[in-house]
Amino acid sequence: MRLHPQLSLLVAGAVAPVLVLAVAAGVLLVRHERQTLQHEAIGRTQSAMSAVDAEIRGHFTTVQALATSRSLESGNIPAFYDEAQRVLRSQPDWLTVRLALATETPLFDTAVALGAALGPIGELNTFRQAVATRQPVIGDVDTTGARPVVRMRMPVVVDGIVRYVITVRLAPESFADMLHQQRLPDSWVIALADRNRRFIARLPPVPSGRMVSESFRAAIDHAPNGWFQGSTLEGTRTYTPYVTSQQSGWVMGIAIPASTVDAAANRTLIGMGAGIAAALALALLLGWYMSRRIAGPVAALAHATAAMGEGKDVHVPGPIRIDEIARLNDALRAASEAVRERSALQEREKQALQASDRAKDEFLAMLSHELRNPLAALTAAAHVIKLAPSGTEAAIKARGVIERQTKHMARLIGDLLDISRVAMGKVALERERFNLAKTVADVIQVWRSSGRLERHFVSLGASAVWVDADRARVEQVFSNLLDNALKFTPPGKRITVSVGPEDEHAVLRVTDEGEGMTPDATERMFDLFVQGERGLDRAAGGLGVGLALVKRLTELHGGRVSAVSAGAGQGTTFTVVLPSVDPSAEQARAPFDLAPRGATRQVLIVEDNDDTRAMLHEALAFSGHDVREARDGQSGLALAAEKTPDVALIDIGLPDLDGYEVARRLRAAPGGRSIGLVAITGYGQPEDQKRAFEAGFDAHLTKPVAPERLKQVMAGLR
Amino acid sequence: LSSRRLLVVDDDADMRLTLKLSLELAGYTVDVAANGREALEVQRSRPADVLITDIFMPDSDGFEAIDAFRGEFPRTKIIVVSGGAQFTKRDYLPDAALIGVDATLQKPFEIETLLEKISTLSA
Repeated sequence: MRLHPQLSLLVAGAVAPVLVLAVAAGVLLVRHERQTLQHEAIGRTQSAMSAVDAEIRGHFTTVQALATSRSLESGNIPAFYDEAQRVLRSQPDWLTVRLALATETPLFDTAVALGAALGPIGELNTFRQAVATRQPVIGDVDTTGARPVVRMRMPVVVDGIVRYVITVRLAPESFADMLHQQRLPDSWVIALADRNRRFIARLPPVPSGRMVSESFRAAIDHAPNGWFQGSTLEGTRTYTPYVTSQQSGWVMGIAIPASTVDAAANRTLIGMGAGIAAALALALLLGWYMSRRIAGPVAALAHATAAMGEGKDVHVPGPIRIDEIARLNDALRAASEAVRERSALQEREKQALQASDRAKDEFLAMLSHELRNPLAALTAAAHVIKLAPSGTEAAIKARGVIERQTKHMARLIGDLLDISRVAMGKVALERERFNLAKTVADVIQVWRSSGRLERHFVSLGASAVWVDADRARVEQVFSNLLDNALKFTPPGKRITVSVGPEDEHAVLRVTDEGEGMTPDATERMFDLFVQGERGLDRAAGGLGVGLALVKRLTELHGGRVSAVSAGAGQGTTFTVVLPSVDPSAEQARAPFDLAPRGATRQVLIVEDNDDTRAMLHEALAFSGHDVREARDGQSGLALAAEKTPDVALIDIGLPDLDGYEVARRLRAAPGGRSIGLVAITGYGQPEDQKRAFEAGFDAHLTKPVAPERLKQVMAGLR
Repeated sequence: LSSRRLLVVDDDADMRLTLKLSLELAGYTVDVAANGREALEVQRSRPADVLITDIFMPDSDGFEAIDAFRGEFPRTKIIVVSGGAQFTKRDYLPDAALIGVDATLQKPFEIETLLEKISTLSA
């Protein structure tokens, strides 16, 4: 079942009891309104009846006063006649006053002269009642005469007995005034009826004495007071409250048109119906709106979840205003992210596995190659030694090969064993506190002495920094980095080593001007068995374990190593960061001297070729010498005259003086005998050398000048 | 037989040296070169009957040098020696037939084996 009808059902279900309650309340309200109207109508009816009763009592009082007349008491009938005539004139509602003996003999009628012939007393019931009860009595409408009348009978007691009865005839219409005073709406009917169910007065008027409606009569017969639903004489459907007077037995009724009563109820019912309809409509609307608010995002989420399964982006458009659904959305997003991350991770792991597989494969190939090559050389050398007589050049050379290749193999095997020991965690560090700068300088010095740095410009910038580490392992780390730099840096380029404190750490950097590498390669290069591109030289080969060893040893010390390269051909900088410590007091006092770089000399270069001059200048300055330069012989001599150099490098083919001439003049100058003179020529023929020595040169260099040859020559001079 | 010229190509100086000495002891005239380009130059001035060459491993341009030799000196026999070996996924010493040479030899090898191959090829 869809959400929308469910929600509508829910809202409708919530509204239903309220509706039932509202209907019940409406019914009660209508009933209450009707009752209120009824009570109010009954009240008015009673008050109208009371007014009639009061009027009757008023009439009684007036007649009573007449009854106590002296003249009547004394039997002076003519005097009383006059008295009655007077009172009659003051009572507009009175038609006539009649006097009769209690024995039912008429005495006079004010309508005719005293003594004139008189009509019958009329209806005798009230007369006799008055005599018997000695109380005034009001009669019913009498229509037997010329006009309808209502008689009032007043007994007159003289000397303890009822002697007379005064009868006052009233016009029934006179009661209509009291009905008028009720000020009822025009559509209403108010009526006063007598004991015989005949109208005394009515609004709108009907002739007095006419019988009341059937329904009214039935109601009065049923109960003296009450409320009935019936029809008026005019045929209007009405609700009629009525009361019967205790005093007169007359009945007062006020007929309210049913339409008036029902209109009120109808108004209430219509209002209620409209309210219910509005509430239902609102409920449905609310249901629809809520379902849209919920179902929309839910549908979008369902769509997004399906998209997630297909590995697409999870995107739910628009803001979600329902917290639970927003949370669901968030959870879904997180799940999607997690799924994507997991698959990415799996992909990375797979690739890493493949790469590691490939690296292992290549390593095995490389290992095979690296071990088989020296073995091949060794086998061949052994063959030569077996065949060649000892002492011959071939045998001597073969012995050299065996020596070199066994050393080479020993180193390879050493590396292999190291890396496996480190990998298995079998390397125990023998920590001691030492100056890293001093150790690095010592290593460089040893390498320099062995000639391994001959083909490059290796410089060291060092500040004392102390580490708590295994000195042999740290030496191994640096040696591997330096070896790596030498392998990948073309001869003649520089390698810069720096070591010193940086932010609580000891930092060692080895920067080369070698082949450099791509950023991707810098990440992988510390992995085991990964090799750089092979150079032209077999020396560049290796097992690919050197840098892996550097990384593992550094990490064993709680340090880290990184490589940065601006790209292929841009050189590489390796940085090793180790935790630094404070030196012991004794160590701190010991002076820190770097290994000597060799004596600094004043060197003068006289060379017209810009490239050669710059190269020589750089090489010499790099070795720590003070260098000055000149483009021709004359300016060279001038510079020498300012300050006599220790060494002068002089090109033979200068534009002005030739190199031989410059050399002769320098030698001849004061202090010139001690200058070390080096000739630079484009030709290396023995005759050239001979000429040079004759001109006073101490040494001879052939262009292009190799750095290591320059160093040799410089070292050979005094 | 002693007039046969051999050309040894290897980037390792000690390998060049020991092979030259061994083969000279066997009576051959031996030239050496450190790489393919140098070998071609030597071959042009003093043509050898048999080329004994290393293939730089792995991913080397050694095969290009062999191709160049094949094109320019089709009569020269070629023996490839290499430290490579066969592994599950990659073959670092392919069959001689596959790379168009006359024989292959895996390092290390006995000099006698090499001499046999040379004499077979140059017979």
